[in-house]
Amino acid sequence: MATVASTITDPGADVHRTRLIRVTLVWVLTALVLFPVLAILGLLMRAQQSGYLQSTPPEVFYAIMTLHGLGMVGLWFVAGMAVISVLLANYVKPTTAVSWIAYGATLAGVVLLLAATLVGRLGVGWYFLYPLPFHSGGTWPPWATASLFAALAIMGVGWTVWSADLLFAIARRYRLSHALGWHYLSGATTPDVPPIIIISTVSFIGVLAGLVAAVVILVLVAIEQFGSGFTNDALLIKNLTFYFGHMVVNITMYLGVAMVYEVLPGYTGRPWKTNTLVVFAWNLVLFLVMFAYLHHLYMDFAQPRWLQVTGQLSSYLISVPAAVVTIFSTLVLIYGSTMRWRLPSVMLFLGVMGWAIGGVAAVIDSTVAVNTRFHNTLWVPAHFHTYFVMGVMLMILGTVFHLVTDLSKVPERSALTKTIVGTVGLGGYGFLLMFYLAGVASVPRRYAVYPAEVAVGTTYAKVSLIFIAVLLLGALVYIWETGRRCVKAFSS
Amino acid sequence: MPITAFAVFLISSAIILLVFGVVARSTNARRDVNYARANRLRLLFFVSLGAILVIFLALTLPDLPYPVEASAPERIVLATGKQYAWSLTEGTSPTLDNWDTAFSPTINVPTGAVVEFRVTTLDVNHGFSLYGPDGHLKAQTQAMPGYVNRLRVVFDQPGTYTVLCLEFCGMAHHRMRGVVEVR
Repeated sequence: MATVASTITDPGADVHRTRLIRVTLVWVLTALVLFPVLAILGLLMRAQQSGYLQSTPPEVFYAIMTLHGLGMVGLWFVAGMAVISVLLANYVKPTTAVSWIAYGATLAGVVLLLAATLVGRLGVGWYFLYPLPFHSGGTWPPWATASLFAALAIMGVGWTVWSADLLFAIARRYRLSHALGWHYLSGATTPDVPPIIIISTVSFIGVLAGLVAAVVILVLVAIEQFGSGFTNDALLIKNLTFYFGHMVVNITMYLGVAMVYEVLPGYTGRPWKTNTLVVFAWNLVLFLVMFAYLHHLYMDFAQPRWLQVTGQLSSYLISVPAAVVTIFSTLVLIYGSTMRWRLPSVMLFLGVMGWAIGGVAAVIDSTVAVNTRFHNTLWVPAHFHTYFVMGVMLMILGTVFHLVTDLSKVPERSALTKTIVGTVGLGGYGFLLMFYLAGVASVPRRYAVYPAEVAVGTTYAKVSLIFIAVLLLGALVYIWETGRRCVKAFSS
Repeated sequence: MPITAFAVFLISSAIILLVFGVVARSTNARRDVNYARANRLRLLFFVSLGAILVIFLALTLPDLPYPVEASAPERIVLATGKQYAWSLTEGTSPTLDNWDTAFSPTINVPTGAVVEFRVTTLDVNHGFSLYGPDGHLKAQTQAMPGYVNRLRVVFDQPGTYTVLCLEFCGMAHHRMRGVVEVR
C-alpha cells in the first residue's frame, strides 16, 4: 500500500520526508478551512437564483461567483499538488522549501483575490475573459483588476516553481524518456517505473505548458494596458485563456487519478504495475490534452473550421485512454479482490465512477452540434461539477484521509464513513441533477436572476438547495474527522 | 436535441452505475481474475467505444452550425452587443458615439427565411442567443471585439424570440436582451 513509508534508502530521507509531510499537512488543513467557505459561496449563489436573497445586488452575486470559481479551481489544484508530492516522496525527493514557497505565494494570491472580489466587488468569472476585467461599467475599481492580475502572477510564479521542482525531483532519479515510460513501448521492463511517476510527469509538463500560456496572456494584457497603443486580438486571448484554464482543470483531474493508481492497490491487495498500455494511454493524453481545450470555442464562429473539428476529434479521442485503460483497469483491479472497503477506498472508487459519469456529459457537450444548445447553459457547470465534486474531489479527499489516518493512527469509524458516503453521494448527485435538468431546459449559467423566459431555473435552484445542504453536512463530518487526524499527525 | 443528449447521458450513466455496482459486489467473494479474458473484454470495450464515437462523429459533424459561403442569406441582421443591451438593425449598426440614437432592441423577420445575424460587440465578449417562444435555446454564437460571427437561422414558427446574453459580461449580464419578431 502507498503509505508515507519511503522506498528511498538515503539516511536523510526520513528527516526530509517528515518535513515534507508537515508542509503537506499545512496545505491540507488550509484546504479543509477554505473548502467549506467556498462551498457555502456556491450555496449562496443558488439561494440568490432561487429568489431568496432578492435584496442582494447582482454585482455581489457575480463577485461571489468569481471567488467561488477561482477559489475552487485553485484549491483543488494545490491540494492535488500537495498530496501528490507526498506520495511522490516514496520514490523521489521533492524540495520541501519549494512547497513552502508555493504555499506562501498561494496565500498571498488568496488575500489579493479576497480583496478584489469581496472588497472591490470584481465580477469577471473564473476565467476572467479579456477584456472584461478592464470594462467594469463602474462596478469595480481599477485596483481590483490590478489585484486580480497580481494574484494570478504571484500564484503563477509559485506554481511554476513547484511544478518544475517536482519535475526535477523525478528527473534526478529517472531520465525523461523513462519517466514517461517510453522504454516500455520498446519492450523493456527496466527500470521499473510506477504509474504515479508517469502520470505525474505528464501532469507537470501539462501544468508548465498551461502556465506558459498564462504568462503570455499577462504580458500581452500588460503591453496593452501600459499605453503602447497595441490592441490585443480577442480570439487569440480567448484561445490562450481556455488553453490555460482547461489545462489546469484537467491536470488537477490527472493528479487525482495518479492517486488512485498509487493508493487503491493497497486496499485491493493487488499490484497496479506499469505496462505498455498504461504508457501508451498517458503519452496519448499528454498529446491530446493540448488540443481538447478547443471545444470551449465552438461558438466562436470566426475560429477556423478545421480547429473546431480538431476540438471535437481530440475531445472524443481523449476519452478513450481514460475509459479503456484507467477506468477499465480500476474495475479489473477491484473485481473479485479482497477489497478493504474503508473511507479512502470507497472515495477513490466513487471518484473514478464520478469521473466516468462526468466524462460522458463532457463528451456529449464536446459535440459541436450539441454544444449549440448547451454552451453556457447550466449543462456546463453540471458536467464539470460532476467530475470535480464527485470525481477528483473524492479522489483527493480519499487520499488525504488515507494519509492522515496512517500518520495519526486514529482508527476509522464505520458509522461515520457510512454517513459521509451517504450524504455526499445523495447531496452531490442530487444537486448535479438539478444542474443537468436546468441545462436541458436551456437555463443559462451565470445569471444572478432568471428572466421570465427561463424562470424554470428558479425551481431547479430551490430544489438544489436541499441537496447542497445534505452535501455540506457530509463534507463537514469529513472535515471534522480528517481535521482532527491532521492536527494529531502534525503535533506528533 | 437536448432531450436526446440527456437520454444518452442517462443511459450511459445507468450502465456505469450498473458496472461499478457489479464490480463492488464481486468483492463479497474472492476470485482470481482471468487476465486473458479481461484483456479480451477490454478489446471488446475498446472496439465498442470506438464504434460509438465514430458513429456519433459521422452523425454530428455534417451538422456544424458554421455558415457555408456558397449560399446567400435572404435577410441580414446586424446584431451588436454592448454592456448591457443588444442592438438589432439592418443596413448600419450603431457605434459607441451614436448608440443612444441608432440602437434598436427589436427587429422583424419573416417566417421561413434564411436570416443571417452578423454578430459583434463594441466592448467585451457577449453571447448572442435566440430563445424561442417555448423558452428553449434555438441557436447561438459569441460576440467578440474586433470580429463578426455570422449565425444563420431559419425561423419555422412565427412568434416572439428573445435574445439573451450567454457570455458573462458584467453586473447586468442577466438583463441584456433583444427581441426578434418572426411574422
